Amino acid sequence: MIRAFARLPISVRVPIMSAALMVLVGLIASHQVLTALTRAQEARLEELMRLHVDGLSVALGPSVLREDVWEVYDTLDRARQAGADQRMILTVVSDSDGQVIAATDPRRAPVGSELSDLTDLDTVPKLDEIALTSADGHVRVLAPLVYQGRGVGRILTEMDVSDLAAERRRATLALIVFNTVATGGLALIGLVVTRRMLRPISVLAGRMAAGAGRPEPIPPQEVPSGDSEVARLFRTYNDMVDAIAAKSDTERRLAERERLVSLGRLSSSLAHEINNPLGGLLNAADTIETYAERPDTVRKSAGILVRGLRHLRDVSAAALDHNRVDRRGEALKPEDLEDLRMLVAPEAQRQRQSLGWMIDASADDLAPHPAGPVRQIALNLVLNALNAAGPSGTVSLRVDGLEDGLQLVVTDGGPGLSEAALRRLFSSAPTEPGGGVGLRVVRDLVSSLGGRIAHDRHEGRTVITVTLPGKRAREVA
Amino acid sequence: MMRAITRRGFVGAAAAASLCGAPAAIAAGDAPFRLGLTPVFLDNDAAVIAQLRNTFHAAMDQPIELLQRRTYEEVTGLLLEGAIDAAWLCGYPFLQHRKALSLIGVPVWNGRPLYRSYLIAAPGDPATGLADLEGGLHAFSDPDSNSGWLVTASNLARMGRTPDDFFARSIFTYGHRNVVRAVASGLTRSGSVDGYVWDVLSEVDPGLAGRTRVVSRSEWLGFPPFVARADRVAAPAVARFAQALSSMETTPEGRAALRTLHLDGVAPGEVSLFDGIAARMRDVSRL
Repeated sequence: MIRAFARLPISVRVPIMSAALMVLVGLIASHQVLTALTRAQEARLEELMRLHVDGLSVALGPSVLREDVWEVYDTLDRARQAGADQRMILTVVSDSDGQVIAATDPRRAPVGSELSDLTDLDTVPKLDEIALTSADGHVRVLAPLVYQGRGVGRILTEMDVSDLAAERRRATLALIVFNTVATGGLALIGLVVTRRMLRPISVLAGRMAAGAGRPEPIPPQEVPSGDSEVARLFRTYNDMVDAIAAKSDTERRLAERERLVSLGRLSSSLAHEINNPLGGLLNAADTIETYAERPDTVRKSAGILVRGLRHLRDVSAAALDHNRVDRRGEALKPEDLEDLRMLVAPEAQRQRQSLGWMIDASADDLAPHPAGPVRQIALNLVLNALNAAGPSGTVSLRVDGLEDGLQLVVTDGGPGLSEAALRRLFSSAPTEPGGGVGLRVVRDLVSSLGGRIAHDRHEGRTVITVTLPGKRAREVA
Repeated sequence: MMRAITRRGFVGAAAAASLCGAPAAIAAGDAPFRLGLTPVFLDNDAAVIAQLRNTFHAAMDQPIELLQRRTYEEVTGLLLEGAIDAAWLCGYPFLQHRKALSLIGVPVWNGRPLYRSYLIAAPGDPATGLADLEGGLHAFSDPDSNSGWLVTASNLARMGRTPDDFFARSIFTYGHRNVVRAVASGLTRSGSVDGYVWDVLSEVDPGLAGRTRVVSRSEWLGFPPFVARADRVAAPAVARFAQALSSMETTPEGRAALRTLHLDGVAPGEVSLFDGIAARMRDVSRL
């Protein structure tokens, strides 16, 4: 219940709480009024009883002393008939031993009977103990009959207080009706007012959650005019939304530029790859031209020419594959890793570097992972490693199939990653360009695949490990 | 209470006197005629008192003072010591002081100067006679009342009993109407009451008398008489009063008073009317 209430929007919770408070105040006020009414009635009743008893004491004293049954009855009967207040139901006068002398209703309290036969005298309240709590609407009071300073008997009086109970019931009903209407009205007004006051919060919350979690600016016509707190809040919010949009735009452009940089690097290595065999191919073409009459030489040169051209076709095919955007959704295959090797091998060769290439993952291990991002991650890391290792350096890529996932380990014997490069690889904080090409792209791609990156420096070698979760781990996440 | 009624009666009389055009100024030295009243009739009826005052004032041409006392004994005492000139008494105290008192008139009810004593109880009470009421509470009117005490006491005496040992408790209410109230309310189980008062109450206040029923009636006895001291009976004022009594039905005021009292008139009366009471007195005194 409380949890369900806590889940309600604040623009509903606050009005409900204010309405509840008003109802509470109404209840407390009603209780106070009723308590005061009861006290006033009890005081009135006590006053009435005191007058009744005092009057009877004066009138009956001598008769009670003489135990004059008729005089006591006559006085009680005339007092009853003369009494404007018809509350008195029964008055019984007894002597000091508790024997009834006379009563207004002798049939209920016969002459000579015991007062204690009529009621349990210990439970009958004294004059100052009157309480309006009886269920049958009758109140009994026992008082001493004092004459000339001494108690000569007792007076038991029973009163009908049902009119007082009815008065309280009417007051209760009136209070319930009035308070229900009043607190209901006030609560409604409170609901409307607080909802109105809290509307900016709803607008803010709505705009923040709009558009797939991307905050949207508040349209200018919804921003209140003037310099109210709400207007300032809305303007500040809009500024923040603009700043967020600008930041993500910057990041997108940065990533694009990095992609272009890595593409440039790749194309230069491709140019080498294409350029290197070109000399040999041209020589072969010259040989064919020069020794056209020598079939063996022509055939040999043509073979060289064909193999060289095939190599060029494979290289350009690999480059084309890498840049085909529509491959992003396709599953990773062993051929992708072969392509990758073909793309980077010329660069390593150019610098006379040793390139280790160990693939310890089956086609099934690779299949759960998307080809495009994984190729990009591996390419960028390897290109960076080749660059860091320098001429004649050593670089290796190892791909391991895990129980549920894939691990890429790129190692190089270079001097290690700079601070700036590490920041690019491990944080989303904005950095200046340069120092580790495509590392920010690696970071973004790995985090988009739910994977993680580890960096280690071990025996003069830089080890970067990328772990990508398998299908099951991704589902759990 | 007494004073209040007296004052109220006086105010009523004064108002009535001025309405009737009676002489407002009284000749100097004209002492008022003083009449004592017992609760024999409807004792709390101020109208009755005012009517009686008007009647006698008009008939006697003399101011009249009506005195009420709580008990027969007090009124009898006033009469014997000469504090009042005459009294409407009961046959029983009249006979008690037979030598000192003289009869000056006996009211006539239903054509006869006689009435009875009733023994009453609640309507649901199974009693059929006095013997069935043993052990209960009993209301008497006055210890000097014939109908309100003597009749029941003498009936008990004839059974060899006294009120004290026959009833669990007996009380005196000093008024026949009060006896009816005591029985009607259930304060006492039974009561001894003037039959004339009970019958009149049945007509004028059926709500009260209807809450009682007559268990038994006595024989006819002499109606409560008007009496004066024997040595003053010849005095002019007393003679004028006796004349006013006997001529009540001839004046409008007198007829109005008689109508209120449900009486036919006042007869001269004979002492022998009270022989039945005398017999009962003898029975009681034997115990």
